[in-house]
Amino acid sequence: MSYIKDMLFALSGAYASGSVDEASVIAQKEMSKYCEVIKSGQNMGFFGMIKGKNDYTVMLDAHIDEVAFIVTDIDESGFLTVSAVGGIDLRTLPAKQVIVHGSQKVKGVFISTPPHLSEGERQFSDISELKIDTCLGAKAGEIISKGDIVTYAAKPASLLGTRVTGKALDDRAGVVVLLELARRLKEESLDFNVVFSIVDGEELGMRGAVPQTFSISPDEAIAVDVTFGTAPDVSENEGGYLGKGAMIGVSPVLNRHITDKLNTVAYDNGISFQNEIMGGKTGTDGDVISLSGCGVKTGLVSIPLRNMHTDCEVIDIADIESACDILQKYILSGGVFDV
Amino acid sequence: MFDTLKDLCLLDATSGDEFAVSDYIIEKIAGHCDYKTDNLGNIICFKKGKSAPSSKIMVDAHTDEIGLIVKSVTPDGYLKFSTVGGIDTSVMMARRVMINGSVPGVIGCKPVHLASSDEKKKCPGADSLYIDIGACSKEEAERAVSIGDRAVMVSDYTVADEKIISKALDDRIGCAVLIDLIKTYDKYDFYAVFSVQEEVGARGAKVATFALAPDSAIVLEGTTAADIAGVPEDKTVCKLGKGVAVSFMDRGTVYYKNYYDYALNSGIECQTKSAVAGGNNSGTIHLSRGGVKTVALSVPCRYIHSAGSVADKNDILSARRLAEYMITAIAEGKVK
Repeated sequence: MSYIKDMLFALSGAYASGSVDEASVIAQKEMSKYCEVIKSGQNMGFFGMIKGKNDYTVMLDAHIDEVAFIVTDIDESGFLTVSAVGGIDLRTLPAKQVIVHGSQKVKGVFISTPPHLSEGERQFSDISELKIDTCLGAKAGEIISKGDIVTYAAKPASLLGTRVTGKALDDRAGVVVLLELARRLKEESLDFNVVFSIVDGEELGMRGAVPQTFSISPDEAIAVDVTFGTAPDVSENEGGYLGKGAMIGVSPVLNRHITDKLNTVAYDNGISFQNEIMGGKTGTDGDVISLSGCGVKTGLVSIPLRNMHTDCEVIDIADIESACDILQKYILSGGVFDV
Repeated sequence: MFDTLKDLCLLDATSGDEFAVSDYIIEKIAGHCDYKTDNLGNIICFKKGKSAPSSKIMVDAHTDEIGLIVKSVTPDGYLKFSTVGGIDTSVMMARRVMINGSVPGVIGCKPVHLASSDEKKKCPGADSLYIDIGACSKEEAERAVSIGDRAVMVSDYTVADEKIISKALDDRIGCAVLIDLIKTYDKYDFYAVFSVQEEVGARGAKVATFALAPDSAIVLEGTTAADIAGVPEDKTVCKLGKGVAVSFMDRGTVYYKNYYDYALNSGIECQTKSAVAGGNNSGTIHLSRGGVKTVALSVPCRYIHSAGSVADKNDILSARRLAEYMITAIAEGKVK
């Protein structure tokens, strides 16, 4: 497997939400092979920095956290009540296997009410009705506490061609882009600093990017995230095609010069890309990065992904490579420093 | 027995495509009994015991599991499918599947961000679901799969304390118990049937029972346990950890009362299946030829017919003990 696919599998198969930081530990260890790593002191967040000759700083951002659940109650029969950490479609949960991160990892299953008990059409309105069966009975209370994190259990797998499926590809795909860029740029002699900012808390409203961006205080930034991929129930008006390249974001909240430069380097170098047009906020860390401190010129590169926020996300490795190629050319050609 | 159960659960064998499980079973029972396979794929075994029984006894377990069958490939390379057996849409949305035991895919689902609040409240019909195998075109998909191919929803096999979490516990549990009986029970002769196509209407058992013409039948299977949070006591059907469930009646069968009473009073931990719900091979077995005295021993399974079903090891051991007890009792004419 390629480095990108190896790292994507390692990170997708690991867990990161709230107090669970496995994926972050893996990413930090990897980043430290290529550059100096600084812990920001903010939960799981950290950043790597390749020093340049001047003080200008270009920051790349990706989030390490995944959608998850948090335990709010444990009953004496070993069933857990949970809240969602991030946006989750309740209809995808019955009989879904999960990992409960208690004092040890415990497999659990979201309950599925048998057909003989459902009167008429099943309604999904409240996650508190969808308990998790720990299969541990009264012992659950000894291992699991309120506030423990629950994640999807699925491991990544290869589909046809260059496509892969797994949980948390949103936004481990972006984290992999940053790791691959650090690997590619580590020997380069750069005029400016390049910071690889890995943050948490995105799924709860871009909370991790706010303090970490403030600490880094970049001059310009590009967020690397995922976006909707077309599917039978997602039109080309709602998403991008898998395999046709990373999507360069075009939005009123993004810096026009960065967007134009990203488009230009992709076009001039024959790198596959698509544009994602948004009428306002992007729903990514880019929204808050641009408002950090006195304001940051911000761009966005997104990787199309299907079945977002499920454990069956699908992504095309070719689009991750496209994002890496575009951003590598962007940085080596001086960012928007000269604009 | 539990190692065998794990192997069996991790094999993929939807109705009409039971070969992987059948081959495995034959490997396990060869040398322990006489066996043959019939025209539908049932494995019919004769286990010679130390004595001849007073009546002809058949013990049944089914080899097939619920799954999916590919119906068409869309121009964009997605697979449309039908379900094989009864599967609720809510346990199919956003699931990993394996087609033909070799091609992974996922059942897709519109991102939660794009679904309307009405859409999010209820499951779509199964006909709106599709499998994504990562194909970029119809041609690429058709190089990997063909219409008519079978798929299952995948799962690991997890042992959590006394519980097992896996797909296909219904009815690989019955198969594992029956293999164990063939290998270790030798008091009286009995016939064992590993039957096909239970999930599509108890079809294999129909012909196997006709062929054998037994007097008595013991059906080993899994049944719904609703002993879960939020379900009132009187709706639980049966409970995990309370022993194998014995049925008085379900949608297909009114069970032979003498056997039902005898099983419940065996002294072996077991429970009554307290709902007239579901059905199993008994439905066709008990009506075969001039009628067959039938008892069903059902291991309680939570979330049955999903890739995350849960059973209790003690209930499986209870099924094994009660099956042996009933064979002996029927063979000795202690229960008529």
